Amino acid sequence: MDIWDHVVLGIQAVFLGTEAFNLLGLPISITLVMVLAGFVLGIVVGATPGLAGPMAMAIALPVLISVFGFSDDAFLPVLGFLIGVMKGATVGGAVPAILFNTPGTPDAYMTTLDGFPMAQKGQTKKALKVAHFASASGDTFSDIVLILCAPFLAVLVESYLDLPEKTGLLLLSLAFISAVIGRSVGKGLISMGLGLLAAMVANGEDFYPRLTLGAPSLAEGFPIAAAVLGVLIIGEVFRSLEDLARDGTSSVSAKSGGQGQSDRLTGAEIWRMMPFIGRSAAIGTAIGALPGIGSTLAATLGYTSGKARHARTKAPDAPAFGEGANEGIAATEAANSSVSGANLIPVLSLGIPGNAAAVFLILAMDSIGGFNPGPSVFRLSGDDVNTEMVLAFGLFTTMFLANGLNWTLGGMFMRGVGIMARVPKHILLPIVFLMTLTAIYVQETSLTAVWITVGFGILGYIMRKIRMSPLPFVIAFILSAKLEDTARQAFAATGADPFFLFKSPIALAFLVMTVGVILYSLRKPQT
Amino acid sequence: MSFMTAERWLGLCAILFALVVLFVWIPNDIDTGAFEKVRRRLTIGDSLGPMVAGCVILIGGLFTMLRPEEGAPTLKRANVIWMLTLLAVIGAAIAVMRFGGPVAADLFADDPYRALRATIPWKYIGYVSGGGLLVYLLIGVSTASWHPRYLALGLTAALVMALLYDLPFEDLLLPPNGDV
Repeated sequence: MDIWDHVVLGIQAVFLGTEAFNLLGLPISITLVMVLAGFVLGIVVGATPGLAGPMAMAIALPVLISVFGFSDDAFLPVLGFLIGVMKGATVGGAVPAILFNTPGTPDAYMTTLDGFPMAQKGQTKKALKVAHFASASGDTFSDIVLILCAPFLAVLVESYLDLPEKTGLLLLSLAFISAVIGRSVGKGLISMGLGLLAAMVANGEDFYPRLTLGAPSLAEGFPIAAAVLGVLIIGEVFRSLEDLARDGTSSVSAKSGGQGQSDRLTGAEIWRMMPFIGRSAAIGTAIGALPGIGSTLAATLGYTSGKARHARTKAPDAPAFGEGANEGIAATEAANSSVSGANLIPVLSLGIPGNAAAVFLILAMDSIGGFNPGPSVFRLSGDDVNTEMVLAFGLFTTMFLANGLNWTLGGMFMRGVGIMARVPKHILLPIVFLMTLTAIYVQETSLTAVWITVGFGILGYIMRKIRMSPLPFVIAFILSAKLEDTARQAFAATGADPFFLFKSPIALAFLVMTVGVILYSLRKPQT
Repeated sequence: MSFMTAERWLGLCAILFALVVLFVWIPNDIDTGAFEKVRRRLTIGDSLGPMVAGCVILIGGLFTMLRPEEGAPTLKRANVIWMLTLLAVIGAAIAVMRFGGPVAADLFADDPYRALRATIPWKYIGYVSGGGLLVYLLIGVSTASWHPRYLALGLTAALVMALLYDLPFEDLLLPPNGDV
């Protein structure tokens, strides 16, 4: 079976999978329904300040697993839903940014700079249309790059990297994430070391569960969902609640729009935005493909790069960036939306999550089983069908499906969810907290797991207070077992050679790059 | 300005923690060394991974000591008080969640809670009362407003969540019914 047969099977798995209902004689598969549901939920979540895509993904995952179980049939509906949420949240984040000057998600902050001034001039609809068009364009570009790059990169990895090289690559990825996130490489390394250590509790090969301090409640180790949700979601809830306690509740109110300017988006205006969208989509895609660098940086770089171009090329009477320029919204939204497809490149080709959303996709893949993200996904095996490759192409299909929904229905949903920005945070956050703890309990069925989640939440809170990024912790926690297993296998395969990382030129190059990226990052200003 | 800034203290704490991990925790809490012989073959033992993690924390601590981030925020007394407040709130709510159902069963039912925990309304009592209290207390500490409508809102939110999880999924157990 060649690669095209797998592509066709992947598309069929999405459209001809388990039927949810029948529409005028046409069977509608459950995966299609789940992608739509995830996309709508994502827009709602993105439009709600204080919530974010990863939060919804985290809370939804245990419920989805309970509904769909652990079979191959569960993979596409569950992942399709999560991908829908991921894409919808990015689009939705622009809504409150434009309507209320409040970014729904951190990566939409730059959208406020031009979106809100446009809304004040009475061009709300136009601003939303610009955000939608740019977001959908960036998303499409990124998905195309993903589909072209991920299989190619995976085949390359499979051809050239053996166990020692894969160990070196994992070390390099972890070092890169620790070094580039945040302002202090030292704190990035501490965060990563803590993640590695926490993941190693009770999961060694010896009969005695290691590092448990003799506590029976730790004999199974820290549940992955408890650690990840605790540090990423609960820590953020604790910090946001403290901000509310300190600064008081802020009620978001819409400013009345002015009059006198056209609210229509013309073809000529779209044409003028295209260079900004193209450039930002390329920036966002490049950043999304690198582990650890998020959509907020992509949006900032896209906006900054667009601003320089706009200053050179704009007509004298056209608004500058920051004064309500279409191009400002377009540059930001194209950049942050193009991260979502590209961040699956390291997930699918190397099994390495690049950001919080990708963490939950990997968690879902891990929980369902039957799909091990990494080079083996794209391996052809003679006449046999590689189920993982079929699922991967099914996944790509769900991404394009979400993308199609974005183009067709995204704009309509965006205009409808502005009301979510009025949901008060002081009510929303405690409910999110209860939902997260409930999600953990239904998965682990133990109050100990709830307390472990709260403990990791405290850790996540402290990390945020001292400006230590929690992302290296989470990614190290997820990759820890993989790193240890690969190193064990490499050691055994090289005849117990303790210097196996130094014998292969590629592994050695990865090691040198690991040290290099840390030392280079030490040079960046610590202010 | 003192040499020992908050960042340097953080680095020092990380170094001390790493040393404890490397020289106290790992030797005393892992049975195998960094390498061990299994059936005359040398393999990687359970200690090597945690040793690598400890070394990463040690290096991170050293870098933080030597190259502290200027102007980095620090953990203040108010933050510690906030954490303790949250822990007290969560502890109280989880205690109500854990014991609400059994206490109600003791008072108003003939059977013990364990025999009733899969039946309505008993299976919801702990979750709704504890969950509602959790939402109420968190709203209270974050807004300093203790209006009864927030309690009603918390109880409603917990009830809706209980129904959302429980009605469609027969095999899911709401807290604390897996522990009692």
